[in-house]
This record gives sequence, structure tokens and C-alpha cells, in this order.
Amino acid sequence: MSQVNRIKGGLVDRSKSLDFTFNGKSMTGYAGDTLASALLANGQVLVGRSFKYHRPRGILTAGSEEPNALVQLRSGAAQEPNTRATMTELFDGLTATSQNHRGSLEFDLMAVTDLASPFLAAGFYYKTFMWPAAFWEKVYEPIIRASAGLGRLSMQDDPDTYDKGFLHCDLLVIGAGPSGLAAALAGARSGARVILADEDFAPGGRLNSETLEVDGMAGADWAAQAVAELAAMDNVRLMTRTSVYGAYDHGVYGALERCTDHLPGSGGKPRQVLWRIYSKRAVLAAGATERPIAFGNNDRPGIMMASAVRTYVNRFGVAPGKRVAVLTNNDDGWRTAQDLAAKGVEIAAIIDTRDRPAVCDVKGARHVRGAGVVDTAGRLALKRITLTDGQMIDVDCLAVSGGWNPTVHLTCHQRGRPVWNEDLSAFVPGKDLPQGMVVAGAANGNLTLAAALDEGRKAANAQIKDLGFTVSRKAAPKAEDEAYEGAPKWHIPSGKKRAWVDFQNDVTVKDVKLSHQEGFRSVEHLKRYTTTGMATDQGKTSNIPALAIMAECTGKTIPETGTTIFRPPYTPIPIGALAGRARGTDFRPYRLTPSHEWAKAHGATFVEVGNWLRAQWFVKGNEKGWRDSVDREVLNTRQSVGICDVTTLGKIDIQGKDAAEFLNKVYANGFAKLAVGRVRYGIMLREDGICYDDGTTARMGENHFVMTTTTANAVLVFRRMEFVRQCLFPDMDVHLISTTDAWAQFAVAGPNARKLLEKIVDADSQDMSNEGFPFMACGEVTVCGGTPARLFRISFSGELAYEVAVPARYGNSMMEALMKAGEEFGACPYGTEALGVMRIEKGHAAGNELDGRTTAHMLGMGRMVSSKKDCIGWTLSQRPEMMREDAEKLVGFRPVDRSQKLIAGSHFINKGDEATMANDQGWMTSVAWSPSLDHSVGLGFIKSGDTRMGEIVRAVSPVHDTEMEVEIVSAHFIDPEGERLRA
Amino acid sequence: MPDFTLTAAPPLAGYDRSFGDIALKAPKDLAIVSIALPLGAEDAAKAAIKTAFGIALPEIGMSAVAKDKSTAIMRLAPDQAFVLFPSATPDAEPQIAAKLNGAAYTTDQTDGWCALEISGAGARRALERICPVDLHPDAFAVNAIARTVMEHMGAIVARTGEDTYLLLSASSSAKSFLHAVELSAKNVS
Amino acid sequence: MIIDHPLLGPRDAAEFIYLGDACLIDRPDWQAEDAADAYHDYGYIRDNIAGPMQELWYHEQGDRSWLVVTRDTLTHEITAVELARDVARARGRSK
Repeated sequence: MSQVNRIKGGLVDRSKSLDFTFNGKSMTGYAGDTLASALLANGQVLVGRSFKYHRPRGILTAGSEEPNALVQLRSGAAQEPNTRATMTELFDGLTATSQNHRGSLEFDLMAVTDLASPFLAAGFYYKTFMWPAAFWEKVYEPIIRASAGLGRLSMQDDPDTYDKGFLHCDLLVIGAGPSGLAAALAGARSGARVILADEDFAPGGRLNSETLEVDGMAGADWAAQAVAELAAMDNVRLMTRTSVYGAYDHGVYGALERCTDHLPGSGGKPRQVLWRIYSKRAVLAAGATERPIAFGNNDRPGIMMASAVRTYVNRFGVAPGKRVAVLTNNDDGWRTAQDLAAKGVEIAAIIDTRDRPAVCDVKGARHVRGAGVVDTAGRLALKRITLTDGQMIDVDCLAVSGGWNPTVHLTCHQRGRPVWNEDLSAFVPGKDLPQGMVVAGAANGNLTLAAALDEGRKAANAQIKDLGFTVSRKAAPKAEDEAYEGAPKWHIPSGKKRAWVDFQNDVTVKDVKLSHQEGFRSVEHLKRYTTTGMATDQGKTSNIPALAIMAECTGKTIPETGTTIFRPPYTPIPIGALAGRARGTDFRPYRLTPSHEWAKAHGATFVEVGNWLRAQWFVKGNEKGWRDSVDREVLNTRQSVGICDVTTLGKIDIQGKDAAEFLNKVYANGFAKLAVGRVRYGIMLREDGICYDDGTTARMGENHFVMTTTTANAVLVFRRMEFVRQCLFPDMDVHLISTTDAWAQFAVAGPNARKLLEKIVDADSQDMSNEGFPFMACGEVTVCGGTPARLFRISFSGELAYEVAVPARYGNSMMEALMKAGEEFGACPYGTEALGVMRIEKGHAAGNELDGRTTAHMLGMGRMVSSKKDCIGWTLSQRPEMMREDAEKLVGFRPVDRSQKLIAGSHFINKGDEATMANDQGWMTSVAWSPSLDHSVGLGFIKSGDTRMGEIVRAVSPVHDTEMEVEIVSAHFIDPEGERLRA
Repeated sequence: MPDFTLTAAPPLAGYDRSFGDIALKAPKDLAIVSIALPLGAEDAAKAAIKTAFGIALPEIGMSAVAKDKSTAIMRLAPDQAFVLFPSATPDAEPQIAAKLNGAAYTTDQTDGWCALEISGAGARRALERICPVDLHPDAFAVNAIARTVMEHMGAIVARTGEDTYLLLSASSSAKSFLHAVELSAKNVS
Repeated sequence: MIIDHPLLGPRDAAEFIYLGDACLIDRPDWQAEDAADAYHDYGYIRDNIAGPMQELWYHEQGDRSWLVVTRDTLTHEITAVELARDVARARGRSK
């Protein structure tokens, strides 16, 4: 196909031909074209099918407000549906296909829905898919799903990458049209840091589409000159292809930069970057959007916005038709006729809805006063229009101008409400603008060129003056104001012909009237009932006309009827851009333990614990399932010795003259009297008396403690201790710093633990005998010939055990050394599963027991809560309900039939009682297979458990549909007297 | 001679790569010790710092560098600063404690952090992708520091030269941090 | 949102953790006659203010300062940012 509609002029580069395809047809355009302009140049007027009725549709606009010309771009995994052809920059090799039709675009089988349209008016779905209920999932939903949506996803992973970033500026200028350029120039010349962003690839806005002059030169040339000046300045960041899509609190804006969408491939770089822009001030110069007029069959391909027709002729050198009519309610529409005539395009008629003389002379054009269009003909492209008086005119393009709406979207993002301007018959920005924003030019209702330039400059000057910059004295750009006068005309009564208001969601004037008739009269109800404005274009061309028609129905004024405000994003943002880099394994950062490399090389299976990757178990030899490995690790540790990397536990270095007193505040039990060189187990409460976290704290010196927290709560405990320190006891001399990552810490547990460590700990640094280093001792030692280390004699497993810490850089090497030293004892590494099994066997509480509902009293640690001192949570922990005698107490459970496996989450029911909530006695928190006892063991809370040893109850799990008899036993399945750990 | 010897393997040891006009490098043997100023004895601590390092404790958000560049002190919070200096041995904290002679509390932070130096004309452009803090020369002078978050990881950024920044982040997530910085450099180069 | 940290200048709210009403500074005396009631109110009773409110924010990805931020809950306008430690002292808290 050749470029049958290409005419002279425009800003396209005719020296650079670009080949592309549309629905497989080869076409050619030029650099500087959009896909829309190139399609029009090639005579491709029909570009898609409408959402609901599958009506043939063409290109309506030349900008981001486009509701019709949505296409699928590229192919394979890179296929992207619902791309606006008007915003797609043409590149060599581009492939596009039309959407939302079965069969070819020209003969869409789904077009039968158009014949059924009398039944498919607004509310059809609500009324139809109500009954029978049995049909909801089986019949209705599949039907609705099959017909929903426009384009199709590739169903493959997105092959492109995306990035995010942060930018800072004194002045953000949104929009590079006349007012935006004037604002950016003013800001930049004063020395302020300026960001100028525009969604178009060619800055200039309407200057590129008009024949108006600035400073005595063509508007487009002036824009190019301004851009060149800005581009040469260090304090300016010029961002084309960048949509500022949202205004957030305190001068923060969201922007999407399309970096490689205009190229055949991304070259390995991010396709798009989602920017967070921190601005001190902003000038919104977003321009205005022309609005359509509704009339019978106003959606045929070839019926376009008058300003868009001008854009195609002036900017792209494309005539959208051979014989064009203009329908307008204002002076601006006349300029379309003028510009087209000047380019030699035949103007058949100018139909002005106002009964007034011609605005200007247009050669060969008939002027029809006080009239309108009531119907059109042409199945796949416009052929004829019918006027109110019945006369018919053959045209292949109708340019429609219904006046302009200032693009106020971003002014609403902080709940600002636009106000109605009677002179313009349009909403203009209200007073409640986002912090730091001013609006200039057409976006502020100054729709003419000189006014826009002037306001852009003045707005920027006022903003930067406020920031302390000296305003540049360079002369303001000069231009003349063009004629702009209009009388509102929202729709032309067209009998029974359907007149479209929202093209993308197929909402007609009749639907709006139906909404009124059925009582959905507020704007919010209107939107939801008819779906007007709820398509991907967010009603940029339809919201105000729909509102105006509703106002007519109600007999109220437009502002009385309502105001629609807007939420971010201004234009659609791909999910990929929102995800940025956070995909796959890059979803979040990983924390690796110091012995990670060793573990990887020795059969570890890793488990995610928060951001940490921890060894869960180590597969050895022919072990088939995880239980084989875990059972072996437990038995090996209990019989000889095992080693576990426990670096992930939070470590907090606490220093200060008041450190001991501080610990008394944050722990429920006392720490002030802990001797130097000793460790104590501590329990923390929430202020409401519920248990919060537990761990051990070692006193390394008079004013120096090292606290450990659970892995899960490391960050939270630190935060809360800072709160206690700064907000509750601000005059305590106490200082906190995390050392979690600084020390690689290993548990060495089992009867041979001491023997193993005697080979590691330098003999001259520590007496390792039971007397020299008893249970709950701690100290600074050296290991492996002088490396500084910390040694703690603490036990989570219940065995004779130590934890030894070395600077993290030695962690991997330390693991090797420990294993080598343990070789003669058959030492094994163990993972988090064996750790968990051993702590359950020993009856130690962990996260399952400290679940935010349990008290120290329930955990059997009630007596630990000191009454002699204040601590976080003390007062409320003493409430009667928290101290009930019959409270659920932590005890152990074993199945009466030892071959049965306990189920965590089971609830306890007394024998003979019905399994109901009323009879609930408590619940099972943790279970494990105990290789030491060769049966399943569990921990759980049961009413007065501590006085019910030996009693048989039922453990019921309705979720698993199981029930078994269990015996209440001590939680300490292993070594209840604690002889092993003191050995 | 002990039976077992330990070898140091800091997470980014030896890393040194370039991406266009951006150079990334892990500094060797950088020791970090935190200093906490005792409440009510801040002046004495400040005097001890001056005596020990020949430089005054800087304001929050700044670092002070010794004349011979051997030592830098970053002031991170009202009562907290980091001393950075070259030391290959795991005794950084005792070294500093000895110099301060009990006038401030000290904690070894060397192994808690990984360090990465990013330099070159494109360094700031790369950091724009991950760093929310304004690093423009007008807003972030040489020797300025900021503790912030990059790609969900806590980080300290220090401007150590015209186009050079020192980045610190947690050592356990060093690989993820390196990936974040590397990818930023790749994406803009 | 941007919080203008009294020591560090404007920082993105993403660096901070929000806690809630700054009345949490006013922790009751555990030995007072009405301690149980006072702690009940301290723990559970909050004013749900539509307007300027003093809130606690923690600069977790920063200098670890707790701040008292006066923020209008309707507009997000922030009119004051103070170090919580200073506020706590001014409210009579010490050791």
C-alpha cells in the first residue's frame, strides 16, 4: 500500500523511510510519524473494533486521550495489547495488529452484537446475569470472560526489563507545549534545577500542530529553538517520551519514561523507567483536550477531532480525508478548515452549530449555520453525513470540535476539585492544588497562544522567586492570541440513531438518559451504571459530555450535577514498570549466612526465613527424603555433636552506664544483677502484657551487653528498644547498634561439643572445663591461633552446647574448621529442621508459641516476670484475665497410639465432649517426629495443663478431618532435669 | 602452630569492574568502628576524638577526613559516628578503643558492612536508579553522607570525591547489593 | 510524603516507619494508684483525629531517630517535625 494520503509539509523526515506492517499488510511511513499518522498516510482508516458492539472504529485523536485506535504491538513474548496508535512512535520493522474481533478486522463475526444492541444497553449485565444463581460460575462468567477485554496477552514472560529511579529538582514543568516551554525557559534561565517532561517524543505540544507564530517564526521552529537552549543547559533535564502520571504528597510526582519503545529492540537496556520526581515546585502545563459532540452514528472511521485533523495535516503531512467536513460549536473548528484548505484539501462544508456569520473565509467551503449532523453512513469508513435539515453531503472525513477541556487531571490527584468556568463551558483547576503546584496555559483555561506563553513564564517566575532565585530578565516570547469563542453543544438530537459519548466503553447518549431514568443521577452512579469514563482512556473525551447530558436530563447546571475528579495514573502504566527490577529472584534482597558457600557445597537445602536463606537440612549419601536427613542430624547431635549456623539471630550491642537498668525495662525478668561473664534468658512483653520476643543476653562488661533476638523479630526489637530509649527514658545513657551481620555465630551442640571446641578455642584464652566455663557463661576468647571470638555456653537443643562467634569474614572458614575438628567425633552440620525438632523435644518455646496471643503465665514463665521493677508490659500483664488459674498452659503431648502423627493446629477436646468451640480446651502449637523417642511429640496450650499430667484428651483437626487421643505430658521430652546441658 | 587456621573472605573481596564511564570497586581492608557518645559526656568524647584522630567530630550528615586521608569519621546520628580506616586484622575495635581511652563506647562494625566504591562521570546517573537521596553537587557536597535505603537494603552513601561515592550496606546481603549497583551501572552505561 | 527531618532535612517517608499517636510517649507510672486504668487507656484508647495530629515516626532507614511529626490527617500537611527525645524530655520524661 502506498502513502495515498501523504501531502506536503510537516515535521516528518522524508529522508528516512520506515517499513511496518498492520495486520500483515506492509506499509511505509517516515521518521517522526506515529503509528496513527502512518496508518492514515497509508489510507488505513479502519483500525479496530469497539469493546461492546464490535463497531468498526478509526482514529479519533492525535494524542494520549485516544479511545479507539488501540492496537497490539510487536509479536511473540513482546506482544503488547491496548497500545494507543496515536502515542506509538513509528520504527522500522514495527508490527501492529488490530484487536477485539473474531475473523478479520473487516468482517468481525462478533459484530452481531451490534444488531443485538437494543438489548445491550447500560445495565444489561446487572439485569440479565442475575438468575439462576447456578449459572453464575458455570455459564455467565465464562461468557463474560470470553468477551471481556480488548487485546490479548502473550501469556509468556515479558522479555523486557524495567527500571525505577529518583530525580530531584527545584521546578518540574509538566508538558512542553507553549506554556511549558515558556515556564521551563524562565526557570532554567534563573539557574534553578528544572525538569521538563512531556509525553510526546517531539517537545512543542500544539505548536507542532498549528500554523501559529511565536517571535516571528513558525511555532514549531520556536519550540525547537527553545528546546535547543534548554538542552544546552546543565541545570535542565529534558525528558521526552515521559508521562508525568501522578501528583503525590509534598511535591512528589510519578513519571514513566519510555526509553526504548520507539526502537526495534531494547538493546538489553530497560524498556521503561518509572521515576519518582521530588520537586520543590511544579508548573502544570498539560494543555487541553478537545471534546467531541455526540450525534447519530458519530463513531464511524473518518470522524475525528478537528484538532487531530489539524495535527495530521500540519505536523505529519497527512490528509485524513480527500473531502472533509467540519462540525464545530466554536471558532477553533474553523482553523481546521482553514489549515486544510491551505494544504489543498477539499473542504465540503463547515457546519457551525451556532447561528452566526462565518469566522473566516475558507475557499470553496459551504457554511451551514445553526445546524448539526444527525446521521452518518459508511460501514467501514465514512461516506456521507446527514444534516439536521436532511441534506446529505458526501465526505470521507468529518472533523468535529466541541470545544476544549483543560487537562486538569493532575490537579485532582490530591483531592482537588476543578471548578466550572461558564465562559469556557469547561472545568478549570480549583484552588486546592497539590502542594507546590501552579497551573499555566491551556490547562488553566488560557486556551490561546499568547496567554499560554505569558502565563507559563509568569507561573515559573513566581515559583522560582519563592525559592529565592533571581528571575531572568530575558524578553518574554511574543505571539498573538487566536480566535476562540464557542457556545456549548454537547449532543445533537438524532432520533433513534445511537450517538456515542464514550467510544471505548460504547456508552451512548441513550445510556446516559437511561441512567437518569433509573435513578442513577449522581456522577459517581452514572459512571458505574453506564461504565462511561471507566475504560483505559479514563474518559478523557467522554466524562464532560456525559456529565453535560446528565445535567440536561436533570434540568440542573453542570456544576450542580457534579464534578468528576481524577486519580492517578493519567495514562496507563504497564505492570512491568511498576514491578521494576523486582521480578523472579530479584523480588527482594537475599541475606546469606557466613557459611552459605560451605553449606551449598555440602548438600544443604535452603529455606527462606524472612530475607535470609538458611540451611534447612543437609542431604548425606543416599538419603531420600528430608526426614532421613533431619532424623540423622538430630540423633547425631544428641549422640555426639552437631553444628548449626545461627548467625541469623538478631544481635544487638548495648552499651552505656544505664545499660543494665535499660534491660530491666525491656525484659520482664531482671538483668541488672546479671554478673559480668554470664548469660541470661530473657522474655520481652508487649505493653499489653502479651509475650513479644525472647532470647539471651550476655553481659560482656559492666556497661556492655550483647543481646540476641529471634531471627524474625530482630528488626522489630531493635526499633522498639530505640523507642524505649528515646521516647520513654530519654536521659538514660544507653546506646544500641546492630551486630547481626558482624559476627558469624555457630551452635556447637552434643555431648562432644566441649571436646570439639577445645580444639578450636585457644587454650590460653579460656579454661573450657565445666567449672571454668559453666552453663550460661560467656566470654571473649580467641580461636584458631588468635582470631578474636565470643563464646557463649547456651543451649537451644537441650544438649551440652555452646555458641561461638567470629568476625563474619571468617565465618565460612570457621565452619570448615569446626567440621574438621569434629571429624573424629563424627560431627555433622544441622539445619533449621533439626534445630526445630530438638527445641520441641526439649520443650523450648519459639515463634509458634510466642504468637502474639500468649502470656508468660501461659508459657509457664509467669514467675519470671519480676514484680520488683517496672518493665514494658508489667502493669497490663497483671490483669486478672491474664493470670487466670485455668489459663491454657504450655505442656507436651504424645499420641496414645505411638504410631500416629500429631497435627499442629489441632484443638483439644475432653474425652466424651462434642468437638465444638464451646468445648475447646486449647490447641497444639508445634509438632515433630522425635527420632530420639521414635514417636511424634507436640507442644501446645491446654487449660490448666500443668495440673493435668497423664490425662488423655482428643486432638481434633476439623481441617484435616482427623481426631486422635493424646496424653498430656511434660514439655521437656528430653532431659527434663537439664543434666545434659550442665554436664 | 594451631591445628586450624581461619582465612578471611569478606563478601565482595577483590571486586573491581567497569561499565562504560562507571567504575565499581570493593575497597580492600576497610575497617569500620562505631563510636557512641556517652550521654552527658559528649564534650569529653568530642575532645578525645579530636585528640585521637586529629579531626573534629563532624556535623550529622557529614564526614571528616584526616589530612593524610588515613581516617574518616562519618557522623550518622546525634550520638553515633563511624570511624573508617585501613586495617587488615580483626582488631579494629580495640585499636580505636585504645585511642579513645574510654571517652566513648565503641563497637566493631567492620564485618557488618560491605563497601563498594562507585566512581566516574556516570556514577551519579547510576545511583539515580536506586538512591532516593539527592546527590546533585549543590545538594550533596564532597564529604557529605546519607544513610538511606536502596533496593530495600539499608545503605550509607558518602561522597568521597568529585565523582566518587563510597557505598556501605549490610554484609549479609552484599551480593544483592552488588547486583543492585551493578545493574544500575549497566542500565545507564 | 516527605518528612523534613530536623537534623537531616527532607527525606522520603519510605525511609520511615509509622507508629501512631505521640501520646505513646506519655507512659503512665506503674506504681500509681490508678496504674491499671491508666495503662488501659494508654494501651487501648486513642483519639482518631481528623486534622493536625502528633504522630511518632521512626527513621529506620536513616539515623534511627524517633520523631514527633505533626501531620494533618486530612491533607497530609506536615507543620512540625521534632526529635521525640526532645519532646519526651519536655513532657517530663527522664530515666
